Amino acid sequence: MSTLIALIIVGPLLASAIGLVCGSRQRLRDVVTVGALAGATAMAAWLLAEVERNGTVVLRVGGWDPELGVVLVADLFAALILVVALATILVVEVYAIGQRFTAWGANPQLAGPLLLVLTTGVSLAILTGDLFTLFVGFELILVSSYVLLTHQGRRGQIRAGMTYVVMNLFASTLFLFGVAYIYAATGTVNMAYLAERVPELDQGARLGIGLWFLVVFGTKAAIFPLFSWLPDSYPTAPTTITAVFAGLLTKIGVYVIIRFHTLTGMEDLGPVILVVAGVTMLVGVAGALAQGDVKRILSFHIVSQIGYMLMGLGLFSVAGVAGAVLFLVHQIPIKTVLFLVGGLIEEETGTSSLDKAGGLVATAPFVALLFALPALSLAGLPPFSGFVAKLALVDAGISEVATPIVVVSLVASIFTLLSMAKIWLGVFWGSPREDTKPAPTAAHVGGHRLMMSSTALAVAGTLVIAVLAGPLWRMSERAATDLLSPEVYVEQVLQ
Amino acid sequence: MIGDRPAVLQIAIQAASPLALVVATYLFFAGHNQPGGGFAAGLVLGAVVALRTVAGLAQPLRPVPLLGAGAIITGLVAIIPMFFGDVLLDQAIGDVEVVVLGKVKVGTALAFDAGVTLIVVGLVVAVLEGLGAGQLGGSGTDPETRLVEERQT
Repeated sequence: MSTLIALIIVGPLLASAIGLVCGSRQRLRDVVTVGALAGATAMAAWLLAEVERNGTVVLRVGGWDPELGVVLVADLFAALILVVALATILVVEVYAIGQRFTAWGANPQLAGPLLLVLTTGVSLAILTGDLFTLFVGFELILVSSYVLLTHQGRRGQIRAGMTYVVMNLFASTLFLFGVAYIYAATGTVNMAYLAERVPELDQGARLGIGLWFLVVFGTKAAIFPLFSWLPDSYPTAPTTITAVFAGLLTKIGVYVIIRFHTLTGMEDLGPVILVVAGVTMLVGVAGALAQGDVKRILSFHIVSQIGYMLMGLGLFSVAGVAGAVLFLVHQIPIKTVLFLVGGLIEEETGTSSLDKAGGLVATAPFVALLFALPALSLAGLPPFSGFVAKLALVDAGISEVATPIVVVSLVASIFTLLSMAKIWLGVFWGSPREDTKPAPTAAHVGGHRLMMSSTALAVAGTLVIAVLAGPLWRMSERAATDLLSPEVYVEQVLQ
Repeated sequence: MIGDRPAVLQIAIQAASPLALVVATYLFFAGHNQPGGGFAAGLVLGAVVALRTVAGLAQPLRPVPLLGAGAIITGLVAIIPMFFGDVLLDQAIGDVEVVVLGKVKVGTALAFDAGVTLIVVGLVVAVLEGLGAGQLGGSGTDPETRLVEERQT
């Protein structure tokens, strides 16, 4: 079964190379890109089923011993997030094929292959069993994201791209320092060995490592106060790029925080994480309320929602971590979908500014529906997936008697609903403005249909998450139980 | 548009290029057990390409085929062992008789290294192109000689 892991990593990379040499044969490149992503998603689903039945799958790359070589580990947590992440990228790629006929599309010759490199980075970061390969995975993601963010060379993109690149390079440098420090302290970067050796370090060194990596991964995840680069840079990129970034990049940061801090037993940092989580929720949602542009509002919500996942981790109980896992599963597609709808709004009205757009309920009722469902889910209203995930977190918070964070999370939810209502008022109600609507072209119509159907498919996917909440919750609980008892992970990797 | 480049620089770089190729070749093969390898060799080759571009010498390489070929080679080398029942990135090592050197140990990792070299060189060429090196073609000659040449033709 470890073959599946290998193919999930190498497949998209090979497809990316083929896409590069396709030159101007756009159709062929589309087929290769979508084929590779669909294949990887299918294999990830198979992997998840396998892990669910028979337990963790481990691949020792090159046949080396874990002490020397790279191990890739697919446990329940990794396999679950992998499926969601790959499926999300697949939908975005289909949307991107439709969008390239509009003024907002990304350059397809570059975007397709780079998206595949980014996919490899995401899979690697999720599946890796050692810190250095994690660094490589992050760099794969970042280097391709630098290009994806700035490749159109528009003024705002270059300006925001500078902040983004500098911030992330800085975080990567800190990451390397941290890896060196942890190697000096324990003599290994393999996570299974770290799980054994870090708890044996003295209190100061242990907490130093925990805090250091909280800052490193927290910069990627955009937690307070390390988030300012995100709402600045994300809205400037083409819709599809922002959608992938929004759905995945910060979430991978959170995924890694959950993985690293549970594995190395950082329960002592719980209160710190809870405080950071609460402030992140409030600051993010307050920022969102102050904005007047759909993409910028949604970007601030990325920050706010990160707080909820950290809240689950900060509780360090099975229910809390399970809530964080479920929230991650809900959040990756929902965030992406909202940005895809943002792209549709832009296409329908010619703008994403709340002041200029209006009346979409009348002119494009289907877009309004596609926005309303995930927006209500984001705010956490029943019967959507956001409700299930938030309920799990609040429930965990109450049973741990962490009243302040529970109150903060509920207040943040109300403000989330408020800012979604703001988008609704600005974009969907009111009188339509004909002057801003761009004239459709012939190629545009087919593309438009593709964009609509892929978004509708993704919305349907988020509804499926709500329907499958029961099995998903049981799976999250099992994943959380494994995460909080590292000896299971250690035994499976080193056996 | 970069100004005129002295002929001395161009001749020196032309003379140095083969030497740099030798160094790159050495690094490429040394990499298996010593410092060096495909990445270092690629960097040296990339430096040659960059120098030649800055000096206004002909630079026939295109980035996309290099990147594509490099990525395809590394990808294939990574997964081919799996068809023989081994794990990802496993390698086979064998001895080969070479005329002068005698018995030489060769691994399939060498092909992987070659792919890495191609990717590194491709990236350097891509960066140079992104910085507008394409517009430098022919700008190496100084305007007066160019005028003379134009009159002659």
